[in-house]
Amino acid sequence: MAGTGTAHLHTADEALLRLENLVVEFPVGRTGLKVNAVSGISLDVIPGETLGLVGESGCGKSTTGRAIMQLPRPTSGSIIFDGNELTKMSGDSMRKVRTNIQMIFQDPISSLNPRRKVRDIVMEPLMIWEVGTKAERAAKVDATLEEVGIDPKRAAESQPHQFSGGQCQRISIARALVLDPKMIICDEPVSALDVSVQAQVLNLLEDLKAKRNLTLIFIAHDLAVVKNISDRVAVMYLGKVCEVAKSDDLYARPTHPYTDLLLKSIPVPDPTVKVLATKILGEIPSPVLPPSGCRFRTRCPFATDICAKEEPQLRDIGGEHFIACHHPIEHLA
Amino acid sequence: MTLITDTTSMTPTPLDVPPAAEPLPKRSRSKIHVGFWIALAWVAALLLMAIFADQLSFIRLPTAAVKNHGRSTAGYKLGPGWNAWFGVDSTGRDVFSKVIYGARTTLKVGLWSTVIGLLVGTFMGLIAGYFKGTYDRVISIVVDIMLAVPPLVLAIIIVYRVGDLQQDRPGNPGILKWFTRTEQITVVLSLLAIAPLARIVRALTMSLAQRDFVLAARSVGAKNFRIITREILPNLIPAMMSVAFTGLALLISAEAALAFLGFSVETGTPTWGKMINASYRDMDKAWWATLFPSLVLFLTVLAFNVIGDRIARHYDIREAAL
Repeated sequence: MAGTGTAHLHTADEALLRLENLVVEFPVGRTGLKVNAVSGISLDVIPGETLGLVGESGCGKSTTGRAIMQLPRPTSGSIIFDGNELTKMSGDSMRKVRTNIQMIFQDPISSLNPRRKVRDIVMEPLMIWEVGTKAERAAKVDATLEEVGIDPKRAAESQPHQFSGGQCQRISIARALVLDPKMIICDEPVSALDVSVQAQVLNLLEDLKAKRNLTLIFIAHDLAVVKNISDRVAVMYLGKVCEVAKSDDLYARPTHPYTDLLLKSIPVPDPTVKVLATKILGEIPSPVLPPSGCRFRTRCPFATDICAKEEPQLRDIGGEHFIACHHPIEHLA
Repeated sequence: MTLITDTTSMTPTPLDVPPAAEPLPKRSRSKIHVGFWIALAWVAALLLMAIFADQLSFIRLPTAAVKNHGRSTAGYKLGPGWNAWFGVDSTGRDVFSKVIYGARTTLKVGLWSTVIGLLVGTFMGLIAGYFKGTYDRVISIVVDIMLAVPPLVLAIIIVYRVGDLQQDRPGNPGILKWFTRTEQITVVLSLLAIAPLARIVRALTMSLAQRDFVLAARSVGAKNFRIITREILPNLIPAMMSVAFTGLALLISAEAALAFLGFSVETGTPTWGKMINASYRDMDKAWWATLFPSLVLFLTVLAFNVIGDRIARHYDIREAAL
């Protein structure tokens, strides 16, 4: 699993967002070591598409989302959004461009300031950019709140803790929408919610996407959630991309051993289905000292010598399905 | 894989049912709050008497000599009673009225130094905690130095040196005359307050700056100043309030300690510490002149601590309910 390689990318003008060889590293104190959070991934998103980004905790998927926003700026690599190279942009012009990309976070409580009124929270982006008159701003905020299913009157007099988790997530969505962005990065937006509420929030995102012609990046560790909402899915492991494919295709023929294991670990609510004995071996290795060659080799059931020596490149296996593996799982055609 | 396979067929709910507004857990209000209300009443009564001492007929001027059947009471000749509630001191002045007028000075010095400490400490802590890096290193060093200086030594040096500089004698500049003793004590006490407050604010700011709402503010284009004032500062205020009250209590006792050692405000202006200092040697003769100022000092410090504690706990519940 390597994920270096750009074979899977669309042409530059097709994509709304294009990441090339993105690297994000964090220093470990003053030891001189660094956390290789993201190690040279390339991805792109075409307009109107939902790209799912999955992988277990610590694989760098959230870091990728934040690097797109330049919060913090990536160590190296290129991020082109709507024709602009974000990594070379000055702080002030980045501030402006950033309004076109918005984020929704995992923790609905932490993402809203507990000491402000909900309506003010949603109003804040408009205040920062001094959009329209006071009345126009108020109208826009109320309309957006209604769009996500929050009563504007209640929002005007309540603080975030007076709303449920699902409602807080709707409020976050309203704040993200109020500047009319082109793209929304959803960083595990439903993993902190009850299953029934998850469905509501996912529905809302789908509706809004259709209505406003949004492009979404949907980051999650739960493949079942990602499957429904995504057009394409990229599987990440330890800062690398292992497999990129259309959502249905990925679930029908997981070709990378890691994807296969991930899919097999989804619980099936059917007692007659046997739990497969395949177990992923051990813990995820430290991103400070990642394994050589294919980063998944230490836990891969098929690993051989070549996996330690050579980093596999992403390659086309047909039908817009790309994988980076020396020993892909064969599927009968 | 069939967890949420069919999101489209679920009926979208336009408005979530408002949750039962999760009322904050009411922990037997009456019991826990009694102490708080008594403390608040004590502080309020003391403040009101101190402010309106000149208008209240039952409070003598602290300079007025108390007469007993026409005779002078100088030298503790009158104990606590109807004439002078807390008795008289060695000069025959009313201990009660001196306690009230002393509250003026004590509270003024305590409040001002708390305010200055809060302003400077919060500023330093915010800068260090938010910008980190070099700012943090420099400010942390300053704070560590401030914490390392023994407070009494600092107080003695400042009060003594300034007092010396103000003297008009040959070879002495005779400057800083505008700098009154009260102000000097206030500055000394605020210096004591700055360092711990800066540390607390720094730590809180660091953890707040990690929260997603700060990232969200940045992603909608908020600049640092706006993030600090709109997102972080409001979240610091509850913690600062409780720390301020506890700090106020500490500063009041520090002021008393300084006064007891002879480093106090101008002569003629009573403070509790000075009163205790002036009469503790005669305690076996006239216990009242030492005991009452000490008792008032003790109760006031306790009251501010109770109030600070209560505020801290109140906001803890709030955070827990989030």
